[in-house]
Amino acid sequence: MSNKHTIMIIDDEKIVGDMAKLSLEQEGYEVETFLNAESALSRLKDRPFDLIVTDYKMKGIDGMELLKIVRQSYPTIKVIMITAFANLDTAIEALRGDVHDFFPKPVKIKELKASIRRALNEQ
Amino acid sequence: MKERLSGFLQSVLNTLRGRRSSPLPFERLFELFRQVLEGNNKAIELITDMGDTLGGDYLFDITYIRRVYAELSEAIRGSLVNFEALTLQRYSGLSEAFRLIDGQIGRMINDAGPSVAEPVIFYEDITWDMTSAVGGKNAHLAELKNNLKLSVPEAFVITMRAFEELIQQNDLAGRIEHIGKEDQCQDSESGELYERIMNAELPTDVDDAIGRAIERIKKRCGEHCFLSVRSSAEEEDGDYSFAGQFETVLNVPLERTAVTNAYKKVVASLFSPRSIAYQQQVGMAPGRLKMAVGCMVMVDSLSSGVVYTSPPSDDRNELLVTAAWGLGTAIVDGSVNADLFVIDKAEGLEIREEKIGTKESMFVALEEGGIVQTKTPEGMRTQPSLMPSQLRELAALSMQIELYYKKPQDVEWAVDKSRKMFILQARPLRMQNKIKVNPAFSDAMLHDKNILMRDRGTAVQRGIGTGRVFVLRHMDELSRFPKGAILVSKYDSSNFIRIMPYVSAILTDTGTPASHMASLCREFRVPTAVNTKDATAVLRHGQEVTVAIDDDGRITVYDGIIHTMPGAGYQNPAQMEDIYEYRKKRYILKHIVPLNLIDPLRDNFTVAGCKTLHDLLRFMHEKSVMELVEKAQYGGKMVARHAAVRLNLPIPAGIILIDIGGGLASSTAAHSISFDQVASEPLREIIQGMLYPGIWRSDAVALKANDFMSSIMRMPDIMTDNSALVGYNIAIVSREYVNLGIRFGYHFSTIDCYCSDTDRNNHIYFRFAGGATDITKRSRRIQLIAEILKAYGFSINTKGDIIICRISNIGKGTIMDILNQLGRLLSYTRQMDAMLHDDGAVRRYADKFLAADYAL
Repeated sequence: MSNKHTIMIIDDEKIVGDMAKLSLEQEGYEVETFLNAESALSRLKDRPFDLIVTDYKMKGIDGMELLKIVRQSYPTIKVIMITAFANLDTAIEALRGDVHDFFPKPVKIKELKASIRRALNEQ
Repeated sequence: MKERLSGFLQSVLNTLRGRRSSPLPFERLFELFRQVLEGNNKAIELITDMGDTLGGDYLFDITYIRRVYAELSEAIRGSLVNFEALTLQRYSGLSEAFRLIDGQIGRMINDAGPSVAEPVIFYEDITWDMTSAVGGKNAHLAELKNNLKLSVPEAFVITMRAFEELIQQNDLAGRIEHIGKEDQCQDSESGELYERIMNAELPTDVDDAIGRAIERIKKRCGEHCFLSVRSSAEEEDGDYSFAGQFETVLNVPLERTAVTNAYKKVVASLFSPRSIAYQQQVGMAPGRLKMAVGCMVMVDSLSSGVVYTSPPSDDRNELLVTAAWGLGTAIVDGSVNADLFVIDKAEGLEIREEKIGTKESMFVALEEGGIVQTKTPEGMRTQPSLMPSQLRELAALSMQIELYYKKPQDVEWAVDKSRKMFILQARPLRMQNKIKVNPAFSDAMLHDKNILMRDRGTAVQRGIGTGRVFVLRHMDELSRFPKGAILVSKYDSSNFIRIMPYVSAILTDTGTPASHMASLCREFRVPTAVNTKDATAVLRHGQEVTVAIDDDGRITVYDGIIHTMPGAGYQNPAQMEDIYEYRKKRYILKHIVPLNLIDPLRDNFTVAGCKTLHDLLRFMHEKSVMELVEKAQYGGKMVARHAAVRLNLPIPAGIILIDIGGGLASSTAAHSISFDQVASEPLREIIQGMLYPGIWRSDAVALKANDFMSSIMRMPDIMTDNSALVGYNIAIVSREYVNLGIRFGYHFSTIDCYCSDTDRNNHIYFRFAGGATDITKRSRRIQLIAEILKAYGFSINTKGDIIICRISNIGKGTIMDILNQLGRLLSYTRQMDAMLHDDGAVRRYADKFLAADYAL
């Protein structure tokens, strides 16, 4: 399947990436996981991705900064933000930054999948 | 003097029965009871939430676990404070049990080190909470030795603490961390680490502790025994197999240098290229794993082997025994054609099938230490290596272990030369999920396909694999193994781990389904068959084939790649449980969710039986109920302190009510009230049952002469012997609660019930004792009550003429129905014992009662 959509998962906890990768690969997506935004950004230089699922709070470049960079350099990539620290302000900030969707953790995988489907069908 | 003596006796009796008058008023006790329930409820809700979230349907992280666990721990702490106030610290050990479980969970959440500070600990001193200190394998074995009293050889553990000290003192932490950070660890790096550990200096305290342990073993087993030195990594034998990944050093002499060298060798194997490859393949960051090492006295084995309490064929009624002469090494290596026995678990442990192997070689211990593979003496080769009686003994032991762990087990055993059976290891057996391969695929659809091999060998892992045959002649060739090929090899080997992610199927000429490699194949779901005799001869290197192993364990190899093969390329889909981080986080639930205390009327319902937070909650709930039941017996004394009112009923039940909150209609200020003014829902229901038309007999049932003698000879029960109470039956009530003690003539019943809208808070406790007739008839009445209450789902305990019945965690509607029936039962059985002239009457009257026919 060469027309697989490609998804990047960025979260500083390995478990989130591992679980998301397994669930999304079963849907037929091609998934790569990263423990920080720096390594993810460097990978973006090598190959294109259709969608990014990123944690909000990370050491180094955090989710919002990453969002800004992606918006500037890769405007077609959809971004879904997830965070352990859910409050209205972070949600508003993220949505203003043009994220496709925003989820507080724990995230129901089914809902994440539905959101990804919506995001990718829009393309 | 007489009065003082009787007062003393009474106090002794009260102490023996654990009954103490509480300094707290009953209202306060009841309030504490409700607070315990409230805390428990919050805790149960959090546990449910955690169970759901960690169930695989959510993405979660450690922050979530920390947050929810903090709330959970807080709720339980709160419940404990109220519980201790309620029970006057009677169960003081419970706080300690909580501290232990909480500590375990805290360490897991924070990824902190082990709880045991000693570098060496003997099996008999290992307790259930030490898994992280001694490793899974040692913890399991110690449990079998200490709790099940199984015959496990003498052993000590060099703990995780010793490992940490070794790493720290030799400045290895940095190197280890480094290999963990790399995506692909280079063989040269792990090789260097291996060397550094082999040359490392043992910390003095570790070295000394090992020396002392050796001396202790010498005293117990003699100077000339030997040790087997084996790994026990953190998660090893828990959810992960690690089969054959680490070094085992057998037959090590009882000398300090020999043991410490063996120890280092085992520890260093954590960093062998093979082990690093395994860790990476299962998604662990290499270098994070720690290792404890078990040193066990060697069994001078006549024969040894492995039991699977459920065989790979998935027939849960079968048990599979693999056995060979000498040491078990040959079996776990897969290097011998061993004996195979299939035992019927259901049919009295009959031997259903036996395949006696050729057992050409065997491993034996050398007198100077170490082991050697030798030729099996001719006469022994085709002799079964276990006798039928030994097989049955082994099967029974294995089933005992399976029952204890409630999971199929993989048990290593040995029989010594005096024919004594030992258990050397027990771990959960990886079971296969059923795969959806059409059972008809092999014949109807494939009739034109050329079959190269059929029904030869033993299935290890079902599935279908296609690809080119790679005949392995030498282990070095593994590095050239092409992705997607079919491995065909004379022997099996746990070295195959290096190709597990790329191999489509594995066929070996020899080997057993109990080998390390077989475990790995199941773990990685690689379709595999062993003991095919001649796969290496039948299949050509480079030939394209399709290997199909169906659900019944039938093995077929077709010529060519069959693209239309249903289920081709299909191995079981990966599951969340395959993710190391996921499993590790979920492991926390093992200390939270399982319930070991199931029946309050059984022996393990003790503080010591509390192994999880769920157990603690259950224990607190039950004992809080018991506390109320017990304190309510002092209702007589409460009459003086509380406004007590007489309940006027059309039957002479003589009930006095003590209201502790909302049990009576608010307008009540009179000394006596009618039924309408009772607001306690559970009491209303009981009384309605007692008043059921036709159930209260006012005529006395004629006592036979010997019954009459019994009634006058029997001393009234001390519990009810309170002259102030004679003539009264006391009910302590609130809107949702009743404790009713009813004495009719010579028998005494107690109903204690809490009934709210939250099902799990609700309970009914019912106790019935005594009677006027002889013990046979009284016992029959107890049987009658037991028969009836069984039908309502009560858990029941009877002893002589006392019956105690418990039911809990049920909805309000059901509680009300049962209370109504209990009310009827109280009226119905009032003089029932005098009617029970024969045993048959018990069933007869029980059936009549259940059919609502109350005529006597």
